[in-house]
Amino acid sequence: MDQELRREPFIFTGRGGEYFRIWIVNLCLSLLTLGIYSAWAKVRRMQYFYRHTAVAGANFDYHGDPVAILKGRILAVGMFALYSVAGQFSIVAGLIAFVLILAVMPWLLVRSFRFRLHNTSYRGLRFSFHGKNGEGYVNFLLLPLVSYMSLGLLWPLAHQQIRRYLHNNSQYGNERFGLHAGPGLFYKPYLIVFGALIGVMVAAGVIAALLIKGTSLPSESAVAVVMGLVLLAYLAALLLITPYLAARLQNIIWNNTTLGPFGFESHLRARGMFGIMASNFVLIILTLGLFKPFADIRIARYRLENMALQVNADLDEFVAGVQVNASAAGEEMAEMFDIDIAI
Amino acid sequence: MSVSGFYFDGRSARRYTVSLELRGDVLHVIGDAVERSEALADIKVPAPLGDTPRLILFADGARCEVVDRAGFDALLQTAGHAPSLIARMEARWTYAVASLLVTLALIAAAYVWGLPYAAREAAERMPEKVLVMMDGQFLKTFDGRLLEPTKLSSARQQALVSRLRAMHWPDEAAKPDRILFRSAPHIGPNAFALPGGTVVMLDELVMLAQNDEEILAVLAHEMGHVTERHALRQMLQASVVGLAMAWYVGDVSTILAAAPSALLETRYSRDFERRADNFAVRTLALNGIPASRLGEMLAKLEEAYAGKQQSKKESDQAKWMDYLSTHPATEERIRALKEQP
Repeated sequence: MDQELRREPFIFTGRGGEYFRIWIVNLCLSLLTLGIYSAWAKVRRMQYFYRHTAVAGANFDYHGDPVAILKGRILAVGMFALYSVAGQFSIVAGLIAFVLILAVMPWLLVRSFRFRLHNTSYRGLRFSFHGKNGEGYVNFLLLPLVSYMSLGLLWPLAHQQIRRYLHNNSQYGNERFGLHAGPGLFYKPYLIVFGALIGVMVAAGVIAALLIKGTSLPSESAVAVVMGLVLLAYLAALLLITPYLAARLQNIIWNNTTLGPFGFESHLRARGMFGIMASNFVLIILTLGLFKPFADIRIARYRLENMALQVNADLDEFVAGVQVNASAAGEEMAEMFDIDIAI
Repeated sequence: MSVSGFYFDGRSARRYTVSLELRGDVLHVIGDAVERSEALADIKVPAPLGDTPRLILFADGARCEVVDRAGFDALLQTAGHAPSLIARMEARWTYAVASLLVTLALIAAAYVWGLPYAAREAAERMPEKVLVMMDGQFLKTFDGRLLEPTKLSSARQQALVSRLRAMHWPDEAAKPDRILFRSAPHIGPNAFALPGGTVVMLDELVMLAQNDEEILAVLAHEMGHVTERHALRQMLQASVVGLAMAWYVGDVSTILAAAPSALLETRYSRDFERRADNFAVRTLALNGIPASRLGEMLAKLEEAYAGKQQSKKESDQAKWMDYLSTHPATEERIRALKEQP
């Protein structure tokens, strides 16, 4: 393709005040119906964000069936209840429940991605996910276990493999997505974070030790003070690290993703991300949670408006691929257990 | 009249600029390469959602997107497509504020009445066997760690158990049948009842008591917790509050979620302590033991725990501390017990 690349920025038009009204009305109805309406509320929420997201002059849309989502939620609540109750009876029962949940989780995650992508459309064409269950077990169970046993050293590699599995199996119309970032790109931000974390903790330890040296504290409490300061430094560093990783990883992933002949651009900045996440955090606490819808809008706008689609062929040439049906159970389960892998 | 929009055929990503017209009951979609007519009964018009484009969905997967919402309304409202109630609620601040108030009232009601009720019902239905199993699990976890074998002579143990067995209870089901003696230098003087009704008596408490009546008074209090399954209810309530908090604040911080839920749970335990005190008072009355024994014991326990640091400066903080502490201020309980005959 010798054609010049055209840059089509993503545009997000959602507004905090508008979304607050939708959020509170749906939250109220969900509570009044003992949670049943929450499935419908979720569809409204997804549709609000998708329909406010545009690229190349057209919007996205969400088509999830609330009844399917409700069934998934009931299943998820049931499984969660089983897990928490089993743990109270005996350690063995808790372990059995944990292993059972672990065993079905990859399958549910695969279903969840299928459901989500199948129910996402752009320009009237659906996305789809074709990941196989076997690979799902490798990526969502085996790799995380291995990286856990390696004390996290292999996590960047596992993360890269998981993203590759997700992207390479995703499709829009009849065009496949592809991730072309190798493990090295993923290791870089993780290593920087790891180094910074160690550096900050060592520095805090040394400073604390020097400060205490002059005083006549008994050795036991001196150790406690040093440990406390190191822990404090660790927590403070985490506040900076979360937005840094979120920004860097989104850039690495999307700058190396293709959709057929198209490419993506992502230019998030760690500083910008930190500003939004930190102020969101403070405002949510000060408003006892009422700022949440505004916070969601702010973060979505920042993430989307720093992204662009690189177009070098005619968008209109995409034709619809075969569409599959997927159950909503997987997606809800992932939400309940909060192991949702962020895009 | 007509309104302009985009048409997508559902088979390709091509965007057609079209104009929509309504003639009678038939919607006409007309553009450069599109000419389509559909009866209104065959199309779907999703409810409006904020400022997002209005949509028309066709049965074959094709769709129209119309940015001009006012024009769209003018076109289709004449055909009886009024927005749904929910869409109208979402569009107005008055409904948003009303929803907010209803939501706050619902959360408060659920916390004050719903949750304790649900936890009590659930706890009452929990099979006895399960509770006994939980007790076993608890002892297995703590024996050899926090709990050490008792140093009391078996004669002393025997004497206490037989006095306890001879006691009358307001509710025969409350009779303790498993009484264990343990020593726990790290915990200090205490006695506790496990959810399944097993009572664990610590040597330190037996030593602290001036007479057996004081020990029996504490045990009567603990059995008050057992008969009403307070431990289990507390656990159920705490996990629901914790879960709700984690779900709500979850994406902000999980550590943060733990703090407010710990605060919210204390109210329940204060209620439970009072109820257990009342139960103890009734039990002691049945056995001819003055209720003041429990109060005396409480005073001693408090002295044993915090005695040294108490100073007058802290009395200002007392009310705040009372809210924070799991036990209602012991003084308050002792006063209540003194008022008993």
